Amino acid sequence: MNSSSQIAPLYAEGLNIVPSIDDGVMRIKMSGTVEMRDPGDLLTPYWNKIDEKALERSLRRVEVDLRDLSFMNSSGILTLVRWITKVKTHTAPKSYQLVLQYDRNVTWQRTSIPTLAKLAPAVVVSTEING
Amino acid sequence: MTMQITPVSADYVEMRFGPRWTYISCVRKFVASFFMIGLADKERAEQVSMAASELLENAVKYASEEEGYLKITIAKGQSEVDVCVKNKAEPHHINTLRRELALIHAGQPEQVYLRKMEEAAMTEGQSRLGLIRIIYEANARLRLEVNDGEVSIHAIFPLEQM
Repeated sequence: MNSSSQIAPLYAEGLNIVPSIDDGVMRIKMSGTVEMRDPGDLLTPYWNKIDEKALERSLRRVEVDLRDLSFMNSSGILTLVRWITKVKTHTAPKSYQLVLQYDRNVTWQRTSIPTLAKLAPAVVVSTEING
Repeated sequence: MTMQITPVSADYVEMRFGPRWTYISCVRKFVASFFMIGLADKERAEQVSMAASELLENAVKYASEEEGYLKITIAKGQSEVDVCVKNKAEPHHINTLRRELALIHAGQPEQVYLRKMEEAAMTEGQSRLGLIRIIYEANARLRLEVNDGEVSIHAIFPLEQM
């Protein structure tokens, strides 16, 4: 069952985030850029909502597709760091795997995303997907 | 009237503008396009434009309110590309920047980047990840110059690594 209406998409300042849930997996498609001055104001509450929903629905995996995100500033990266830090504290059965999907042809993604996964290798995975 | 012309390399950009956040994205995209042509290397052009963006973000955040502009110059020499952002800054911000640079130069870039991410996640406020990101993601080196309250921070990209 697809229940994308459970969490509203986010469209703001050149950034689009569209979540959907299907078969126990939440997929979040990001596109555009994150280069606002304080992305934490926008993204941290949104990631918190995703996190709460994932726990509430006992999802086993949350996949974040970053491939169409052409740029993310360091403050935007920090919002993902905060999310990962939160995911790290969850314990089974209330826990999920966070999968960060990136395109190796996008320079910032190839370098920063696998590094993010090293913050919590037990629960965060970075996956290279081209095309 | 005589006109003085300063010789510059073909791949040289200089921009001076008010410290407004909304200009940063515009400058980043321009720098990426310009150096895509000048360097014929998409990856290096993206790294140079990322560094320009991160340095400009810092400059806008920490620029002295009394001074109404900041300046970015990007020059391609024979062996390196030098991205330099200049702005006036308050002494306490300059001291913070000096400490920050000393810290990020005190370890392996990846380890420092991870440690700073963990620290930043535990504290409120600015990320302070921009400088280490430039070093780690782009293999650049950073150099700080301070002259009479004017801060120049250089991100230098060696071309032989390309």
